[in-house]
Amino acid sequence: MTSAERAAILAALNGPHVSAPTREALLARLDARYERRYFTEADFRVLRAAAVRLVPHDPDELDLTGLVDDRLHAGRTDGWRYAAAPPDGEAYRALLASLPADFAALDDCAQDDALRAAQGAHPHAFEDLLAELTEGFMAHPLTAYRFGYAGFMDVPGWQVAPDAFEEREVTYGP
Amino acid sequence: MAPERTGPVNAALPDLRDLDVLVIGTGAGGAPLLARLASAGLRVAALEAGVRHPPSGIATDEVAQAGLFWMDERLSAGGDPVGFGRNNSGRGVGGSTLHYTAYTPRAHPDDFTLHSDTGQGVDWPLTYADLAPYYDEVETFIGVSGPAEYPWGGERSGPYPHPPLPVNGAGLLMERACAEVGIRTSPAANAALSRPQEQEGFGLRPACSNRGFCQAGCSTGAKASLDVTFLALAEARGAVIVDGAQVVALLTEGGRVTGARFVRGGREETLHAGTVVLAAGAVETPRLLLMQGLANSSGQVGRNFMAHVGVQVWGLVDEDLRPYRGIPGGLISEDTHRIPGVIGGYLLQSLGVMPVTYATQFARGTGTWGAALTEHLRQYRHVAGINVLGDCLPYGHNYLELSAEPDARGLPKPRVHFTFGENERRMAAHAETLMRDLWARAGARDVWALPRAAHTLGTARMGHDPRGSVVDPWGRAHDTPGLWICDNSTFPSALAVNPALTQMALSLRTADALLSDLRPQQVTA
Ligand SMILES: Cc1cc2nc3c(=O)[nH]c(=O)nc-3n(C[C@H](O)[C@H](O)[C@H](O)COP(=O)(O)OP(=O)(O)OC[C@H]3O[C@@H](n4cnc5c(N)ncnc54)[C@H](O)[C@@H]3O)c2cc1C
Ligand code: SF4
Repeated sequence: MTSAERAAILAALNGPHVSAPTREALLARLDARYERRYFTEADFRVLRAAAVRLVPHDPDELDLTGLVDDRLHAGRTDGWRYAAAPPDGEAYRALLASLPADFAALDDCAQDDALRAAQGAHPHAFEDLLAELTEGFMAHPLTAYRFGYAGFMDVPGWQVAPDAFEEREVTYGP
Repeated sequence: MAPERTGPVNAALPDLRDLDVLVIGTGAGGAPLLARLASAGLRVAALEAGVRHPPSGIATDEVAQAGLFWMDERLSAGGDPVGFGRNNSGRGVGGSTLHYTAYTPRAHPDDFTLHSDTGQGVDWPLTYADLAPYYDEVETFIGVSGPAEYPWGGERSGPYPHPPLPVNGAGLLMERACAEVGIRTSPAANAALSRPQEQEGFGLRPACSNRGFCQAGCSTGAKASLDVTFLALAEARGAVIVDGAQVVALLTEGGRVTGARFVRGGREETLHAGTVVLAAGAVETPRLLLMQGLANSSGQVGRNFMAHVGVQVWGLVDEDLRPYRGIPGGLISEDTHRIPGVIGGYLLQSLGVMPVTYATQFARGTGTWGAALTEHLRQYRHVAGINVLGDCLPYGHNYLELSAEPDARGLPKPRVHFTFGENERRMAAHAETLMRDLWARAGARDVWALPRAAHTLGTARMGHDPRGSVVDPWGRAHDTPGLWICDNSTFPSALAVNPALTQMALSLRTADALLSDLRPQQVTA
């Protein structure tokens, strides 16, 4: 995250168009980092390398792998799972175990080949992991800024017509 | 995922002895009834597993709002496993209406007579005429916005109480495309306010501010979730709502249900009442009953689980549409209420969509990952969506059972088996073809379809025959004195419309029946 990006995000979040509960949630997320507590160090390294291929991002900016680890450590679920699949943590471990042990050291092409094989062999775990990483990515204020998404500026006053935007929407983003 | 955002669980319980009625669950089934009974002067209380989510605490952020959903793990089985959690089930004072889209079409007269008309599905043990006065009452009380003349369905006694809400970008595209192929459209009936309305117990609810996050909770009170409408009324009229109170068992004495055991703040407590109304929704209601083998002499508890056909079609358009703007449920067509070659039919609705919901659905639905995924998501502002909501026949192969896997409380997790039948597959295919055509006309590219099942229905069906149904047409358990059921579990068939308005109407009707059962005793007491 460049300092210009950070400044623009903070200006929006601390500005007059964002309600207090929204501000609180997004500020907390902006620099969120998690300590590894669930996966082994080796699994975590593979998971992080896989996460970067699945949902391209810079782990120094967005700690998506830490988010997954933190959720599993805390035992939070998203309300359901495929009955045929084991609990999330076990399913993810099996998915990681199916990747080559030196996965993190492989080149991009080899990593993608291995992931494609894992998608076929562990479809449910792959889908769940992909969705979880995608959620972390899309919910991050930095992604919102880069995509020019201003919907979090929620203090009443939106127009609806597709061509009648508000100042705060048009100007937000790089 | 963020930890649950919770309001405080009020510390001490008020004195709740000598309750006339105890309601379990405060969603579309539990809330209107609670208000009706309190207004009639009964001593009533409700136990709600979730906490309060007042509008002032709602963030415009999907992850922060995860606490609105029922996150205890459910197991999804069958050929078309149903997603729960954020897809399907609420938890909190107001139940699933905290996050419903607030589309509120009425069921059609012929939705209640599917079997008589087609030889398939089942008839309801009541008619449109039975529900019409209750529909009127609910629409007026919660403040539904809609067109002056609604083109489809049964007779109405008058126009909607408020003018229609503005139609969002996807709605405008749908309107144009439908006009090209000769399909009529109309602004939808939506339970968000297009002008302010005074609400007893809550105060002035403002008009919708078009922020578009209805499915993550409304931060203004414009949307008619039940906390700002019927539950506010119920509390103003003396009902007590105990939040953070998850019922783990019903109490029984000599075969009669006499109260409930619940966990609140880590402590187990009990409450007794003359009558218990179970309104925990179509998954938790049968789960509680099955755990105790209650009200199941028909063997129907957990049977006939149904979920609406809910295919969505998405595409990217050149217009900077910004799908987070405006109410997501804006434009409707019910020209497809009956279609040839299929039993029942569907309605067509435009969509709005919040970013995380769209992104995860796209990832799950298409399996796309890598640069292709993030490149697609970068174009979120150009996403346009349209969907259907279609009838679903009850089948023997779709049911809920208790699994052997315990949850954190040591209670068995529910396992829900769901596979669309041939009829639903034909309906979904018909709908997908139509929507792809419409979206091609709207100039959409990268069009993709998400096959989906929406809403949880059935599992404790109502009927006249105690051998084939769990409750009678008013909600009394056939075989268990003291117990009534009032939630989506009692639906004998799915109806070709969204269920919440019908559920609220049924709730008032059940309350009236309960009152007429109780009143003679009240008078002599
Ligand atoms: C994302 C989404 C959008 C929707 N949009 C629409 C729409 O636009 N239009 C429409 O008509 N319908 C819509 N629905 C469906 C609608 O919300 C439901 O049909 C309706 O709320 C169901 O009412 P209910 O009373 O059966 O259950 P709920 O409203 O879910 O209420 C059940 C309540 O019981 C509580 N409970 C459960 N178990 C226990 C227990 N053991 N102890 C204590 N409390 C318990 C729950 O916490 C919950 O509050 C939508 C649903 C979802 C998920
Ligand atoms: S769009 Fe309107 S009804 Fe929906 S959440 Fe926003 S203010 Fe509430």
